[in-house]
Amino acid sequence: MVAAELIVTDLAFGLMLGCVFSVVAHGLNMIWGVVKVVNIAHGEFIMLGAYGAYFLNLFAGLTPLETAPVDAAIGLLVGYAFYYAFLHRELRNKETITLQSEMVTLAATFGLSLFVSNLAIILFTGNPVGVNYNPGTLQFGYVRVPLAALYVAILSVLIIMGTWLFLERTFIGSAIRAYAQDVTATELVGANPAKVASLATALGFAVTMAGGALLTVWIPVGINPLMGALYAPISFVIVVLGGPGKMWGSLVGGLTLGVVIDLLQAFTTAQIAYAAAFLILIPVLVFRPEGLLK
Amino acid sequence: MKIEKPGLTLYGLCIVMALLASAALLLGVAVSSILLLLLIYAALAYSINFITGMMGYVDFGHVLFMAIGSYALATLVSYYGANPLLGVGLGALLGLVFALGIGLVILRFRGVYFAIATVVLVLAAYNIVLQFPQLGAGGEIIFNLTFQPLATYFTIWTIVLIEIVLTYYVNRSRIGFGIRAIKNEEDAASSVGVSPRTLKLTGYMLGGLFGGAAGAVYAWSISGVTAGPAFDFTFSLLMLAMIIIGGVGTSIGPLLGAVVVYIPSYFLLTTVAQAQPLMIGLLVIIMALFLPDGIVGLLRRSNQRLRLVLE
Repeated sequence: MVAAELIVTDLAFGLMLGCVFSVVAHGLNMIWGVVKVVNIAHGEFIMLGAYGAYFLNLFAGLTPLETAPVDAAIGLLVGYAFYYAFLHRELRNKETITLQSEMVTLAATFGLSLFVSNLAIILFTGNPVGVNYNPGTLQFGYVRVPLAALYVAILSVLIIMGTWLFLERTFIGSAIRAYAQDVTATELVGANPAKVASLATALGFAVTMAGGALLTVWIPVGINPLMGALYAPISFVIVVLGGPGKMWGSLVGGLTLGVVIDLLQAFTTAQIAYAAAFLILIPVLVFRPEGLLK
Repeated sequence: MKIEKPGLTLYGLCIVMALLASAALLLGVAVSSILLLLLIYAALAYSINFITGMMGYVDFGHVLFMAIGSYALATLVSYYGANPLLGVGLGALLGLVFALGIGLVILRFRGVYFAIATVVLVLAAYNIVLQFPQLGAGGEIIFNLTFQPLATYFTIWTIVLIEIVLTYYVNRSRIGFGIRAIKNEEDAASSVGVSPRTLKLTGYMLGGLFGGAAGAVYAWSISGVTAGPAFDFTFSLLMLAMIIIGGVGTSIGPLLGAVVVYIPSYFLLTTVAQAQPLMIGLLVIIMALFLPDGIVGLLRRSNQRLRLVLE
């Protein structure tokens, strides 16, 4: 039963890939869901997270798993700076984001993406680099799983669960959820909308950059300044599949995409697999614009 | 439709175009090859202006139409030895047809959803093109044409001229008012008798038509097409940057933006290749946050007379 083995192996890899896709898209999901802004430069911050993992490995010998918290801390600061530089002017004193503001934030973050990726080419050169991290493999029956990918998958799910718990079970989390539903009402009950929105943005950036660090395990020689051009669209698709603002949506979207890409890749070509993964977005938007999750 | 008397903006643009034409004729091949890229930039900027500029639908994937035009011309010329002008015509036609098909589906999405759909379509199309050996399968389609800089130059010159006049009259016409109404408040517009579906599709198809034509001329000017560069987002982003910098939706903005984006690329290419997109990115951020109506808006606010004249 070679075919069955192939399918099971690909399914296992697809699920693990899906987990890391989920966490990479999760930061976008948080920002999109709460402050209703889509950060076009999302991919560039994944790239910066990946470079963070690379440089910490180079100079401090840290593994990608250990660099994730460091990247997350940097991401928090970057996220606050991003909110006050790009979003605050458009979002303050507004009950809902207008189409006009949406266009402004799209254009501004698009400019940011152009700026950051080209700055990265100048600073890091265009040559791809990678982090060498290989803690061995694990044998499940006939499926051999690299431990690094397994750790990353588990950590990815834990991060998503952590953000869900934070939003559901803490006081500040409730404020963030309230802000996502109704800005004016949040203000009426005494929360400062700018503080809530900036915190949500900062958390989104922390997760994004940590996700970039975890992603390096999957791309041993693929960290380069332009990697955002692939991972940003993947993140867009995942968030739309799951539904913006639904914390578990990232996981649903990510796993769907990971499995589709890995299974199609096994039977057709990588190009068809990626084309299909991107095209899923269109029927989902037509038939289930609120995402796959209820 | 009553056509009003054209204003100073159109006269000014026509003078600029006349200068561009005479520059190529009088100053020779070296100058025209420099100006050729500027005109291609301008053609692309005007084509995306019909979509993002007038309707406010941010299109990150406009390079798709450019690639369609490039491939149309490359296939026609390299396999059938056709006249490149025919290739430009086919590029425009295919751009229009694809815009119709794609527009029927994705124009239903609004705001960021539309923007994201345009991004994924380019990536999907790129991966699909790689499957076809007839389209080079990711390699290059090269064709040998006798060097004909003036023919290329005046083809794109004509396209830009048509775009300028069309933009100008669409902006002043009933269609233009309808499209602007959609940009401001789509639901309200449809409730007072504007038909968003038809108008949006019209704008999108105009964008596809001219995007395809400009892409075909681009392939003609570099005598070939390669999948990677043809679907390169940089072009999409530069087009968008041009109209954001110049002034979205206006008749003069895309040309201003094309000049602003083009000039640093010409002077900085010799030092650092990334310097141009880096500066453009910074400029786009500043424009988007502080001057959402671009250079045209800045000029209009600075001077009462300009406010009345610039369109």
